[in-house]
Amino acid sequence: MFRYEIKKVFARTGGKVALLLLALALAAGCWMAADTYYVNENGDKEYGAAAAHRLRALQKEWSGTLDEEKLRLAIGEITALAATPQAQSQDVKENNIAFGRGQATYGIRGLLNDAFAVDFQTNDYYRAEHLTPAMAGDFYANRIRLLREWLTDERGNAYYRYSDAEKAYLLRQYETLETPFSYDYTNGWTRLFEWYPWIAMSTVMILGYLVCGIFSGEYQFRADAVFFASRYGRDKAVAAKVQAGLVIVTAVYWAMVGLYSAYVLAYYGADGISCPVQAASSYWKCLYHITIGQMYVLVVTGGYIGCLFISGLVMFLSASCRSAVAAVMTPFVLIFLRSFLEMTDSNVIEKAMGLCPDLLLQMNRTLCLFNLYEPGGKVIGAVPILFALYGALTALLVPTVYKAYRKGRDS
Amino acid sequence: MELRMTNVTKTFRDVNAVEHVSKTLESGVYGLLGVNGAGKTTLMRMLCTLIRPTGGTITWDGNDIFALGGEYRKMLGYLPQDFGFYPDFTVQDYLYYIAAIKGLRPTTARQRTDRLLEQVGLSKERNQKMKKLSGGMKRRVGIAQAMLNDPRILILDEPTAGLDPGERIRFRNLLSELAQDRIVLLSTHIVSDVEYIANEILLMKDGRIVLSGTSEELTAALLESVWICTAPSEQVGAYLQNYKVANVKTLQGNAQLRIVSPEPPAKDAAADIPTLEDVFLYYFGEKAGEEDVSL
Repeated sequence: MFRYEIKKVFARTGGKVALLLLALALAAGCWMAADTYYVNENGDKEYGAAAAHRLRALQKEWSGTLDEEKLRLAIGEITALAATPQAQSQDVKENNIAFGRGQATYGIRGLLNDAFAVDFQTNDYYRAEHLTPAMAGDFYANRIRLLREWLTDERGNAYYRYSDAEKAYLLRQYETLETPFSYDYTNGWTRLFEWYPWIAMSTVMILGYLVCGIFSGEYQFRADAVFFASRYGRDKAVAAKVQAGLVIVTAVYWAMVGLYSAYVLAYYGADGISCPVQAASSYWKCLYHITIGQMYVLVVTGGYIGCLFISGLVMFLSASCRSAVAAVMTPFVLIFLRSFLEMTDSNVIEKAMGLCPDLLLQMNRTLCLFNLYEPGGKVIGAVPILFALYGALTALLVPTVYKAYRKGRDS
Repeated sequence: MELRMTNVTKTFRDVNAVEHVSKTLESGVYGLLGVNGAGKTTLMRMLCTLIRPTGGTITWDGNDIFALGGEYRKMLGYLPQDFGFYPDFTVQDYLYYIAAIKGLRPTTARQRTDRLLEQVGLSKERNQKMKKLSGGMKRRVGIAQAMLNDPRILILDEPTAGLDPGERIRFRNLLSELAQDRIVLLSTHIVSDVEYIANEILLMKDGRIVLSGTSEELTAALLESVWICTAPSEQVGAYLQNYKVANVKTLQGNAQLRIVSPEPPAKDAAADIPTLEDVFLYYFGEKAGEEDVSL
């Protein structure tokens, strides 16, 4: 039964087109993630895997504990480079040569820009060029200071947005980050995370199309009477449908994520897996104490739960409505739900927005959001709630889909 | 082996599709005859556990069929009126899938599929996609799927719809062959489909079984009620308006009419032997299915 349910999905033209779209989405994701360049000593840009490898070799020179000494050296190098004639020149080619020389410290430069920003929400690309080596000692302390200033600034939103307990929680999270932390070349992971939402969202939308037919197909083809009048039409055959849906979601999702991850990491290298996420500029503000490897696990697991939940909802709607029309729209609605909700100005809706299922599909961004909740008076970040909430809802959806479909149509 | 309907009623909103039907079916072929909308399909869907009766009970050997669930359905073969299938499946895959959901083991499924495909004359088409089959071929696949589990109860809703005369004869012969030791309930609005093969014919009208019996019993009830008379062509319209006219045959300026009426419609009217089609006309006020004429 299970084999034929899978066959039903992929035997139709729509199923084959969906597979083709998945391949295209994967190719596009890989292509976008691999879009990098290396600027050589002549100021010319080089592209492709070779460029990525050269960049990696350069940046690996700075790997190790990012202590005051290393920061001092980095600041010295950045400021010295900024003072060179090439950097000061009005000629773009000359500027490119200077940029090329600074590629080795590019990652640390990003962190310095974050740590020494004017305020918590500002990022100035040139900030690192105006530092002095003596300021290196403030690097980690500044991260906490900027957060504190942001939370206590009465002119800012954060002051009103967070309760005292939430502010204390955020500060505690920042203060308890183990420093100095380990630094490494992390381009492989950051590029992987950057385009992962594209992979997850395109996968879930195509999966929605694939799985909605599992339950509406009998009605669409008027094969429901024979199905439900058969011996297993109200139990095992329905269970086979649910099983097929789950297997398709699981296989397609992990195939997409696996191929995407393998390609990007092979292209850039998987260095920096044990560094804390804060070692990459994009995740400098992250409030969770996790390594990049742990972040990868959270990102792909969150995406899987998100895919399962959204696909489960699609299956439930197609099983209940006996039509694929409304069901196939579900992933789009859920993914763009927050865009609509953002237009409203309500604290409750803002809190609800922090728990929208699309956040599971972009866990790399979710981990950087300061979405906090206080269940039972204990402050907690949105990430564990998202995992628990949608994990539980998905677990509930499975028997619900089964029950909704096995009833058949009494009309 | 007893399928019993007791006071079975099905109401859709305020419309009674089936009203107080009580009937016990035992081994044999039952023809359910009625015009479209008589309630045949609704009754059959209830017998297949697809819909629940609003009132009354349906039991198999004394047990409620809805409570029996899968145990009842494993004895059931059903060909719905609007037989649907999976267009991208081959005939073989379709039958294997149906065999799987009917609980047949793969070996048995293969054996049954081979045999049934041969019986319905589709062995050569087994690897063709369902969507490529002609209407008649699809119907034959429908009959084959209903028979896959060698059902003790075979319910066929308008099984000959879409079949050409040759295929319908072949179907009747096939059904006669398959009807041993099982209950076959066959709904149709084409009299000849059931006239010769049904052990009992149930006439259904407005949700009720208005009459039942063998073909002979039903026609016997119309003895001295079927008349043949000749009338000038210009009077045919009046006859059609006032009587249930089964047939009009033009004869050189005159017309020979076959009329169903308790009284002779004309002085020169001669009584004729009633047919099941006359019975159909008598009870339903309209002629049986058009395809019947061709057979």
